[in-house]
Amino acid sequence: MERLEKRGTEGFWQRTAWQGRIFSAYFGQFVKMRLAYRMDFLVDTLAVSFSMVIQMAVLSVLFSKIRALDGWSFEQVLFIYGFSLLPLGMFNLISVNFYGFSDKYIIGGKFDRVLLRPVNSLIQVIFESFNVSGLNEILLGSAVMFYAGTKLGLEFGVLDLAVLMALAPAAALVYTGVFLAITSVSFWHEDKMGLAPPVYNIIRFSRYPMTIYSLPVRVFLTFVLPFAWVAYYPATWFVGDQQLPWLALLTLPVGLVVFSGAVFIWHRGASRYASTGS
Amino acid sequence: MSELAAQLLTPWHRSASASVGLYFYFIRLAFLKFLAYRVRYYTGVVSYTIFVTGHYYVYSALFASAVAESATGQLGGLSLPEMITYVAISWIGRSFYFNAIARDLARMVQEGEIAVMLIKPFHVQTVMMFEAIGESAFRLLMFTLPIMVVIVPLFHIQSAPDPMIYLWTFVSFCLALVIYSQLNFMLGCLAFAMKNIQGVLRAKMVSMDFLTGVVVPFTFFPEWFQVVMSYLPFQYISYVPVTIYLGKRQGAELQEALLVQLAWAVGLFLLGRLVWRVSVRNVIVQGG
Repeated sequence: MERLEKRGTEGFWQRTAWQGRIFSAYFGQFVKMRLAYRMDFLVDTLAVSFSMVIQMAVLSVLFSKIRALDGWSFEQVLFIYGFSLLPLGMFNLISVNFYGFSDKYIIGGKFDRVLLRPVNSLIQVIFESFNVSGLNEILLGSAVMFYAGTKLGLEFGVLDLAVLMALAPAAALVYTGVFLAITSVSFWHEDKMGLAPPVYNIIRFSRYPMTIYSLPVRVFLTFVLPFAWVAYYPATWFVGDQQLPWLALLTLPVGLVVFSGAVFIWHRGASRYASTGS
Repeated sequence: MSELAAQLLTPWHRSASASVGLYFYFIRLAFLKFLAYRVRYYTGVVSYTIFVTGHYYVYSALFASAVAESATGQLGGLSLPEMITYVAISWIGRSFYFNAIARDLARMVQEGEIAVMLIKPFHVQTVMMFEAIGESAFRLLMFTLPIMVVIVPLFHIQSAPDPMIYLWTFVSFCLALVIYSQLNFMLGCLAFAMKNIQGVLRAKMVSMDFLTGVVVPFTFFPEWFQVVMSYLPFQYISYVPVTIYLGKRQGAELQEALLVQLAWAVGLFLLGRLVWRVSVRNVIVQGG
């Protein structure tokens, strides 16, 4: 116990390194657990690919009737779709415990255990389980993007790659922030309604070019529920008429603001957590 | 021979009317069970409105682009108002026939609860179908009706061309419920052989609305796809009832559609009984 406390309080960098070791141990445990069910990953890969095939079939059927959807070609829409899978995959990878957080951690009292440990409560909850299928989405999304990009004849320079590397995680922060905020609500009151599913269902429509939506919907998706930032705005760096290239880069601050806001709500909620006593 | 007939007609030495009473009791039970969770369905109304709204914009843009390119105003035999009605009725219907039997059955097999079900004097398949009916009765009142109240005025949904069509559409969606529940039941039976069917359930989740025609009407697809789908039961879950509502099937065509639908419902129920018999033979319950 003494050693633990000492290690934890010797300045910021040592403390961070110490936390890093703890969380890699968490991750190691998770990998061991997953390796017991190797078949699941295979089945999951099939399910994700299957879902993509269907999504692409829907797009190609719709585009078989027209040359362009509101001025957007099939390949452009496909590129946005492919891009949207990168942040979605990253988000799915770390968000397993957001679902059913209220049941498992608050009603089930698992959060007591989390608070007893001298490391960040949010990172603990995130690191207790991962959804490996997120990796499938990242890989297959990249493949779709590569295919659509080649068809479009996009010139993909070092700068573009750097932008992609920055915007995809930033967009993932938008997803994570929104769902973390919803999850945090359960610290205040038990979420009997299930707020997450309707919000999750909006995701599939945030993959289309925003120009097909009416102004109120666009404003809503840009400022209220910022899902326009998970696919469309960041993707405009690569496709579209590129009148406002800096708009895509705004994804970065938007992601940071949404995520920090959610982390703030989380810690406010966690501080007023009263155990069920079980 | 007469013993066999007696066994078939009155299994578990129960009179036919007692059997009817027993199975109808499960409708009531399921209805009350879902009534306890009704709050969850309020957000469901929001979800379904989101689906219809999203598709409304996608199809509006699609039709606008088509008009700009060729000026026909019709796509896949549908005008834009018909298309919006198609989307709305599809989702309204889905809010009625939907259930999660496959997941429930898989959970019972995995957790060993199935052992208790097996020693009870009823057919698990029949009980689950009647529970699905009870769930849908609940859905009709607490979910489908509120969704209609929101969606129909919001998107100016077309009324049916003839008052009788409302009745036929409802009958068709009731048959869709039987077809959907039996397909789901057979999928759930896979849990006996596979233990973990999460992947299968996910694949079903992403493909079902596509195969039934909820997402895109079949007339948008190439000819070969439509031919393949006409030999499969999926289109009778949504595409057929919705086209009945739109007045695309009338007279003899309407009768034929409903009869084929009925045949699928009966056929899949019998097939489900067979699949159940085979699956149950090698059930392994761990502890419990």
